[in-house]
Amino acid sequence: MADNVPQLDSSAGALKVAAAIGRFASAGALKAAAEAVRDEGYRHWDAHSPYPIHGIERSMGIRPTVLPWLVFGAGLTGAAVAILLQWWTNAVDYPFLISGKPLFSLPANIPVAFELVILFSALAAFAGALLLSRLPQFHHPVFASEEFRRATCDGFFISIEASDPEFDEVKTTGLLEALGAESVELCRLPAAAPRLPRAFYTAAALAVCLALLPPLGVAWYRAAPKRQPRIHPLHDMAFQPKYKAQAASDLFADGRAMRPPVAGTVARGELDEDPRRATGKDEAGNYVTSIPLAPGAAIDKAMILRGKDRFRIYCAPCHGLAGGMPEGAAGEDAEKWQGMVSIRAARRAAGGEGTWTPPRVLTSAYVQDQPDGKLFETISRGVVNQEVRTMPGYAVQIPREDRWAIVLYLRALGRSQNASAGEVPPPVREASVSEEP
Amino acid sequence: MRDQVKRFRSGELRALGEIAPRAIKIALAIAAAALALAIVAATFDEQGPRRFFFSYLVNYAFYLSISLGALIFVALQHASRAGWSVTVRRLNEILAANMPLLAVLFLPVAISLFLPRWCPFSWADAERAAGSELIAHKRVYLNVPFFLIRAGVYLGLWAWMARFFLSRSVRQDESGDPELTLQMERFSGPAIVLFGFSVTFASFDWLMSLEPEWFSSIYGVYYFSGAAVGSLAAVILLAIALQSGGRLTESITVEHYHDLGKLLLAFVVFWGYIAFSQYMLIWYANIPEETTWYLARQTPAWLWASLALLLGHLLIPLVGMISRQAKRRKAILGFWAAWLLAFHWLDMHYLAMPSLSNARFPLGLVDLGLLVGLGGLYVAGAIRVAQAASLVPARDPRLGEAISFENV
Repeated sequence: MADNVPQLDSSAGALKVAAAIGRFASAGALKAAAEAVRDEGYRHWDAHSPYPIHGIERSMGIRPTVLPWLVFGAGLTGAAVAILLQWWTNAVDYPFLISGKPLFSLPANIPVAFELVILFSALAAFAGALLLSRLPQFHHPVFASEEFRRATCDGFFISIEASDPEFDEVKTTGLLEALGAESVELCRLPAAAPRLPRAFYTAAALAVCLALLPPLGVAWYRAAPKRQPRIHPLHDMAFQPKYKAQAASDLFADGRAMRPPVAGTVARGELDEDPRRATGKDEAGNYVTSIPLAPGAAIDKAMILRGKDRFRIYCAPCHGLAGGMPEGAAGEDAEKWQGMVSIRAARRAAGGEGTWTPPRVLTSAYVQDQPDGKLFETISRGVVNQEVRTMPGYAVQIPREDRWAIVLYLRALGRSQNASAGEVPPPVREASVSEEP
Repeated sequence: MRDQVKRFRSGELRALGEIAPRAIKIALAIAAAALALAIVAATFDEQGPRRFFFSYLVNYAFYLSISLGALIFVALQHASRAGWSVTVRRLNEILAANMPLLAVLFLPVAISLFLPRWCPFSWADAERAAGSELIAHKRVYLNVPFFLIRAGVYLGLWAWMARFFLSRSVRQDESGDPELTLQMERFSGPAIVLFGFSVTFASFDWLMSLEPEWFSSIYGVYYFSGAAVGSLAAVILLAIALQSGGRLTESITVEHYHDLGKLLLAFVVFWGYIAFSQYMLIWYANIPEETTWYLARQTPAWLWASLALLLGHLLIPLVGMISRQAKRRKAILGFWAAWLLAFHWLDMHYLAMPSLSNARFPLGLVDLGLLVGLGGLYVAGAIRVAQAASLVPARDPRLGEAISFENV
């Protein structure tokens, strides 16, 4: 055991008294002695015991720690950082509208704020406890005493450091003896603080340099132009065994990876038993002027409601829920009538970003005078205006029957904006009149 | 430590003693008057008996939650072999052992099922449930016989578990046999599992099924988190009241209040965490069949109740109780306990009442009468249980540890 005791190298120079320690018989004696040392006005001292003693902090006169306030401040900082970070990235620096949701909304940001409060608090508690206890501390005067090892076994010690202004070799050891210490000892350390060997600094500097190599290597490899392909750490994610759209393939004679339907076959539900319903044109190539219904189908309220439902999903984002601002509404806030996409695009275009052709007003005569078949074709194939595509085709997203339902709903919208008073059912008319101020 | 225990055992602080019979009489008299008031008030209410049954359900859920929170507290102390809590454990055992009374008090809820027009549960009324395909699909679970069987199982299970802990603990007062502690420790694990399932399904049955088309899988945890807040607050107030009456003055120290306060604060945050977890998922997904529940609670009449819960059940007590001193000073801790108990009641009101009407916030003599009335019965029942036992597990092996316990 004795070889483990730190042996002070006497050749290092003169030894200096660094602390006085006294060993007491019991926890009770230690507490009583601590109270006396406290009352003597010592500041740089400590009590050491093999197990925690309740109430020793009061006997020693230790003031309540400020750590809770540090943790509290760190928690508030965490909350503020989280909220500011999310507000700045989502609402200011890179606003990106998703499903019409607000750019900044508190409920969505609470989870991150909650986690950062905990992270900041935990780190502050950990670092604060270390710093306030002046840890890590690699050496202490009491380690010079061999008897002090009993502090982890059966010894109750008080150590008073020589740095204390009240410290006096004779008076302090006398005090400890008077308090009933079973043994009192002066711990001596070399006058000059021991220095770390030079090799330690060399090794540390080397370790830091070595640790910098991997990130430097990665940065260099990523930045420098290369003849070889880049290294892909996750190879099967970067190169998946699949064909992308429009890719080439050696497997097929025509070289295309995307396969056209086999000649003479029709996919399920795609059979055009009535070409008018598929194209909106009759045999002569003229647009149909009424909606060609499937056998057994009828134009009813369910079909209008289906058209309304699909319209609100696919058309309203650009055209607006009412199909655009009618002429009668001139002078009103135009954005009130526009769809979400249209509003944003128009704002960006006004700011010099990109171009935007405002969508047609669907209740206008220009649209409403078109035959049903023409409306159907526009929904299906979109609009190309002077070689610029201003509306995409929706044949892929919207099934054929739903596109006809939308045509029906467009007619209802047209009626709603261009109706005469006589066409409004009497109960509705009275209700709207009575609401007038 | 040994001296403390000896001094403590010789003290007079063991049982309620001679004040119990009088206290029971007073509590029952108050209960009778308050219940009569509630019934009279309900007959003058425009929503009449249904209003009464709704309010009854709210107050029943409130008092039940106190006993349930006490039951899980006891099981948790045994599961974790906690030493500090021994001196407050008996109070929880007594509150939990009030379960037979709560089983009797469940009868009006059961009876309401057979009065379709007055019943708070719309699924039990063929007229109101007609035309709802969802309720028709849930018939396998939501039907009167199965509902009553389940209620019997929950209440029987809880009463049995509470009895298990109290009877062994009381037996130990006589024998001091540490084997009894081991028995309770062994049972505590399974008891927590049984408790988790039964409370989850009971809250589904008795509160969530008020909106039979709506569902939230976190609902059981939500009710449990509120129950923990309610019962800890109740135990703190109970300890303060008993100490001001000269009982338990040596066994419950500032350290125990500090720890009860810490648990209370932790469960306040837990309640907020659970409530927000439920809110955020529904808010974010924004699916009509889920948002209806919050929509009803954001009508002008209920919005202020929702905000009051956010502030009064979470943010204000969180800030108010976070300091060490707030938990160590009896007056401050007692204030927060009373505050949280009131907001826990509002939480129960908020869970159930919008199903009655989301056009107005119902609060009247019916609610007050039932709150005081059921409270009187609950207190009388608890005193009756307490009569048979001392207020501290006097020979618990960890009693010394509990008395000399200190928060470092």
